[in-house]
Amino acid sequence: MSLYILPKERLPGFVDNLRAGFRVVGPVRTETGYAFADIRSADELVLEYPTTILPPKKYLLPQRETLFTFRTGKAEDGAQQIEVEPVFQDVQPTVIFGVHTCDMHGIVLYDKVFSQGYKDEHYCARREQTYIIGIECLRPCDDASFCKDMGTLTAPPVYDLHMTAVDDNYLIDTGTEKGERLLLANVEAHLATTDDIRRLSQTLSAKWPHFRHRLKMTKDQIPSLMAINYGSHIWDTLGERCLACGSCTNVCPTCFCFDVQDEMALNMEEGERARMWDSCQLREFALVAGGHNFRASKASRVRHRMMRKGKYIQQVHGITGCTGCGRCQRACLVDITIPGTLNALYDEMQIDLSSATGA
Amino acid sequence: MLAKPKIAFFDFTSCEGCQLTVIDALQTHLGLLDLVEIVQFREAMSEKGDDYQIAFIEGSCTRESDEQRLRAIRQQAMIVVALGACAHLGGVNAMKNRWPIEDVQTYVYGQAGRNLYESYPARPISEVIEVDYAIPGCPIDREEFVRIVQRLLQGRKPKLPDYPLCVECKLAENACLNKLGKPCLGPITRAGCHAICPSHGDGCEGCRGFISEANFTYMREILRGHGLSDVEIDAQFTMFNYYQLAAMGADAPLSQINGNGHRRHAADAEVLPASTFAAPKEA
Amino acid sequence: MFEMASNLTTTTTPRAVNGHSSIYLPTIAQVVDVQTETAFEKVYTVRLPGGQNLGHRPGQFVMVSIPGVGEAPISVMSSPSRTFDTFKLCIRNAGDLTSVIHNTILPGDYIGIRGPFGRGFPLEVFKGKDVLVAPGGLGMAPARSLIDEILDNREEYGRLIVLYGAKNPSEILFRDELRAWRQRDDIELFVTVDRPDESWVGHIGVITRLFPRVQINPFKTIAVTIGPPVMYRFVVMELLGKGLTPDQIWMSFERRMKCGVGKCGHCQVNHRYSCQDGPAWTYAEALAFEEAL
Repeated sequence: MSLYILPKERLPGFVDNLRAGFRVVGPVRTETGYAFADIRSADELVLEYPTTILPPKKYLLPQRETLFTFRTGKAEDGAQQIEVEPVFQDVQPTVIFGVHTCDMHGIVLYDKVFSQGYKDEHYCARREQTYIIGIECLRPCDDASFCKDMGTLTAPPVYDLHMTAVDDNYLIDTGTEKGERLLLANVEAHLATTDDIRRLSQTLSAKWPHFRHRLKMTKDQIPSLMAINYGSHIWDTLGERCLACGSCTNVCPTCFCFDVQDEMALNMEEGERARMWDSCQLREFALVAGGHNFRASKASRVRHRMMRKGKYIQQVHGITGCTGCGRCQRACLVDITIPGTLNALYDEMQIDLSSATGA
Repeated sequence: MLAKPKIAFFDFTSCEGCQLTVIDALQTHLGLLDLVEIVQFREAMSEKGDDYQIAFIEGSCTRESDEQRLRAIRQQAMIVVALGACAHLGGVNAMKNRWPIEDVQTYVYGQAGRNLYESYPARPISEVIEVDYAIPGCPIDREEFVRIVQRLLQGRKPKLPDYPLCVECKLAENACLNKLGKPCLGPITRAGCHAICPSHGDGCEGCRGFISEANFTYMREILRGHGLSDVEIDAQFTMFNYYQLAAMGADAPLSQINGNGHRRHAADAEVLPASTFAAPKEA
Repeated sequence: MFEMASNLTTTTTPRAVNGHSSIYLPTIAQVVDVQTETAFEKVYTVRLPGGQNLGHRPGQFVMVSIPGVGEAPISVMSSPSRTFDTFKLCIRNAGDLTSVIHNTILPGDYIGIRGPFGRGFPLEVFKGKDVLVAPGGLGMAPARSLIDEILDNREEYGRLIVLYGAKNPSEILFRDELRAWRQRDDIELFVTVDRPDESWVGHIGVITRLFPRVQINPFKTIAVTIGPPVMYRFVVMELLGKGLTPDQIWMSFERRMKCGVGKCGHCQVNHRYSCQDGPAWTYAEALAFEEAL
């Protein structure tokens, strides 16, 4: 596996060739911004895009996914009978083009969550047929991004191909052998020369100053910051503001919680069980039959989300639970942001410290 | 539940749009007629059977003679379902409750309007009879109607979403209208319509009613940010939800206008602030 | 602990499609008996295809479903010692699914079963010790699994003390068993009700009222409490007051669950999943999670 160089003008040919054998999705322009969508012609694909409302997780975890179908009926003796058959939805050769590095970090988490413990083959079967083609971010999406703080400005080893725009070319790193085969089978690309690689290095080192730090602490300090501040009054303040609309989790590339519901066909004999995106920010998320709600207050729900992003996912999976993509901030109407919250918790501790030492 | 229950549709003060949606559903979901037997549906058929088990009622109660009819339906039906915003919430009909009924009548019909027809402040049907379930919306969502009928047939309680429209709007990957500076009540309104209005560029007006933990304080802040006055915001909040707001005691959005009781308009009409939604004046 | 779900098979339908199998696909099992326990609870005896043994331990649960209605976690009531070709579930009519089960499922009908899931109580730790079981309300169903297991292997355990609290006499579960237990001298049983009726002659008050009635040896006792969330704090206080350490106190943390396999996120208690890491936890473990109690 090595670095290849692909003149930009050959990208449309590459995309068109891929479309012959794959479902190709990637960022396209919409009326108001950009969104991941099926690429119907190569010129729709926009690789230099700031961000999308939903991350590409929608292709790995469909918003609504059938888990199995069933058929119920009556036996001759009148007893009810049930037949069930699993469904593996959207398992098809797919190429996701133009995945930002932050979103790739989200995919790393999903791969762990759905393959470890009980293996979720609905996810895994789909994932196995999915190629990830990343794009190196050379400029921040906007002021909401804080990928530099979260260490997600570099690509994790989850991509099959990873592209960096360098002048009139893309330098393409092959992350997997199947990625390399995909590239070479569908476009004429050459191994990068020493000169190409030098220019790539320049591009990469030149990008860093354009990204700013927004957090007052380092990423490694976040889990303990969260642990210390579990009882902070900040959660109440945020809970009061929160609309409990779930926008932050729906747009989050590391959120994966789901609800499960049955749907019946009109004949009331057939139907399916499906899972759909759910959100820990919604009132009924932790409500049990009998009426007890384990997270009744919005404050407890906001805290749970922040704790997951800043601490819990790190504890369970050993990787950061927040990619710094900034989507939740862009989606929030009442200005609840992860950097804002973390910085406020951090500031509060500085004050506590100074008053404790009498300074 | 019965194997093939007899159902009936009734209408009170409404535009009958919800019943039209039901007729629509009967055409797109032909199997519905295998599940239920419709014995009364003025909008769609001339036969009239009174042996129904489930009654779907569209429209709000806006006059005394409605009450008798509602009670008779309740007496017969095992299950009463409010069909659409008017029956469920009072709907747009209840907007008139903010002014003396005589003013409303004369505003529309001139002086002759005062004795032209029987009318009093509009109420959701649950103010008159016990209502088992509601299918919200203006008009109702056809898929939701079918789903709720199916659940009733299973002997289950229908369940409405108790989370805001924003959930469905995000799933549709719409650009947020409030972010674009357009007023939208999505953050406080019950989901279930697949955010149909915002998906077509129009802000949500709350026809499905508010969620149980609607954050009126910050919704108001957001709308103020669009340059709306408090009077205009109250008008938004009360377009479909005059009754629900009063019941929830929400941030007293009506307090500056006329309190929460529909019987108090005469006195309050004097202090109505000037706005497009203020008391109608005769020309 | 992860292989338990996969050894159940359905005889009627394929488990795999294109080599893939689903952790969400229930095994279709037959309800062979239904007994009405109280006005709210019924006991369902369930037989897996081929009479396969459920292979559970006390404190574990299964996901029960009716296709077309939904799925919910239900604790296994029968003890492993009494589970051969069938197992028992005590189901309260409390929600959407359970009300349909109560209203429609008759002997001979089929339901979906997944599991057993969760960690359950570590019997190997309990063996040789005195065991104090303190169930409240429906907590008696999973407690029954543990109590029967101990009774059937009586010589392997020390004293068995059961302190059972119910809301009112009509909600007391397993009256026949309670009566039988009273006749035995190897189980110490105390029952209390919050709200007695005129027929009630036993203890009155919340479950903590029973604790002064028993003396335990704190060096060799394990306590297990299963009940509604509000109960735990008070029961734990009593147990600590008797000199038990937090790691001698086991409790069951039941949460909303949609998957049972550590994916859907509903049952999270801080960073832990109740469906996988629990629902049985020691109080010592629970102390580390702010959301546990």
